Amino acid sequence: MRHYALKKKVLYCGVVIVILIILLHPDRNARRSYSYIAKENILNSLRQEIANNFSTTALADCDYYDVIHDDTTLPLSIAEGDLVENHRIREGGEYAPVECRPRFSTAIIVPYRDTAEQLRGFLVFMHMFLRRQHIHYRIYVVEQVDSRPFNRAKLINIGSLAAMRAGFPCLVLHDVDLLPLKLANIYACTEQPRHMSCSINKYRFVLPYLNLFDGAVSISSKQFKLVNGMSNKYFGWGGDDDDLYTRLEAHCIEMSRFEPSTSQYHMVPHEGQQKRPKKSELLANAKERMSSDGLNSLKYTEVATVLHPLFTHIMVDL
Amino acid sequence: MDILPYGPKLSKKVDMSAVLPFVILPLLLVIATISRSVTIVVMIFIGMGAMYAQSRPRQKNRSQFFYSWTLSSGVCMFLVFELGVLRLLEITQLENLVFLLLLASTCYFFYKMRAVADFELSTGNSKGKEYSPVLTSDSYYCQICQLEVNERFFHSIWWDCCVLRPNYSYFLAGQVFAFATLLYGTNLGLTTVCQPFIFYETILMPEDCTDVYYDFNLAICFVACVYGLGYVLVTTLVLIRQLLIYIPKYSEPKWRKIVNVLTV
Repeated sequence: MRHYALKKKVLYCGVVIVILIILLHPDRNARRSYSYIAKENILNSLRQEIANNFSTTALADCDYYDVIHDDTTLPLSIAEGDLVENHRIREGGEYAPVECRPRFSTAIIVPYRDTAEQLRGFLVFMHMFLRRQHIHYRIYVVEQVDSRPFNRAKLINIGSLAAMRAGFPCLVLHDVDLLPLKLANIYACTEQPRHMSCSINKYRFVLPYLNLFDGAVSISSKQFKLVNGMSNKYFGWGGDDDDLYTRLEAHCIEMSRFEPSTSQYHMVPHEGQQKRPKKSELLANAKERMSSDGLNSLKYTEVATVLHPLFTHIMVDL
Repeated sequence: MDILPYGPKLSKKVDMSAVLPFVILPLLLVIATISRSVTIVVMIFIGMGAMYAQSRPRQKNRSQFFYSWTLSSGVCMFLVFELGVLRLLEITQLENLVFLLLLASTCYFFYKMRAVADFELSTGNSKGKEYSPVLTSDSYYCQICQLEVNERFFHSIWWDCCVLRPNYSYFLAGQVFAFATLLYGTNLGLTTVCQPFIFYETILMPEDCTDVYYDFNLAICFVACVYGLGYVLVTTLVLIRQLLIYIPKYSEPKWRKIVNVLTV
């Protein structure tokens, strides 16, 4: 009899544990913590490279210690305002500090379509943000002018080719609806590709899954060339970021992140925004397509390239 | 052996009024996902229905319908949270665990409340001890429980049991935990489906919920959260009522004891 009661107890415990495991959803949990580069190691992990054809008259090197240890959160109202007077941003959206010699050159590549008001806010915010980081940068906006579904990855490929031709050693692939909130989130490349937007307000400041490589990403031009860029086949939303991650994984390139409080971003809401795009079936054979689909198979018609005061505008027909 | 003795016969026995809420409520919630105005209409409809039921004389509300409604609400909201909200990959394991613990406590206290009431009903201990055999002006006879119920305590149609002195503390604890569970769950759900903002640098609060109706999954999570907020309102009212009326009365003798000790 006692034996029977014990059996029953064990059974109940088992049932409770199984229910708990099922309810805790080991497969679908977001994370608030992950491994990241500690603040004091950031400076050592950055690639100090400058664009080939960049020259400056400044003698002293810029110091980035203060930038990385700056805790200020930028107010979003910057995006609604205007640029400061005498901002010294050159035609094509290029800027470099004059008082010192920058140690990082970065091309910011923004795939874009239709949302003009959002782009304006983004450009003003980014220029105000990046000027304070004492880096040499240039903003490329790649616009898809045809009426096919939006192809984010292909636009990024086009923009990164243009940036590499201009000699930029570091690329930041950036969505137009993301605004960086922390000044310490330096827009330069680390040794490993870096997922910069891992704490977005829209996602409750959590990381939806560990291998997410979306939103704002920094990668050195060499590495981007090595993995053959991104896939050109993802029309419509979603999957292209996971595809890029697969490529990095296949080349044994790990990714890095900064700590959550540094990586905070604000996502500007806009109409018809998809929360979580569905996984594409293209992803299944991402590894096989890697060598034949990417920068080396890029075909498009360039409609125009215009140097605007705040950005280089590349208009393409895919 | 006796779980399923005669399948067809058993289903005949099942009270229709006890099953109906499990059909009506999910249906209403799904209908409410159509658009913002439909959500508002459905919520007002449910609220008015609840108010009508509450305003009817107690003796008339004998059916199992209301208790089933409570259960159905709990099950629906729980399923939406576990299957809908978690699918959006924005809830951490810790948050889910805290939610489950709160929910488990709520269930435990309400289960205890009903179990104690059942026990009282069968043994009838409280009749002799706590209540006078004669109906005083303070008491009335509860038709459903077939017990004399003091004005301090009452019959709850939503739990289909009498809340008496022995199970009053379970009732109160259950309400407090239900309040916490609902508040926490709706906050998690709404901050997931909506654009959140940081409130006083610590708490995440929902801000902009305009684009939830584009996707069914987002819409059902949103609707369930709005429904949950309705429950938060109800539990708040119940708790305020307890604070104002029942707790002072219930704890009066204890207070008097303490005061007596102090004065001596």
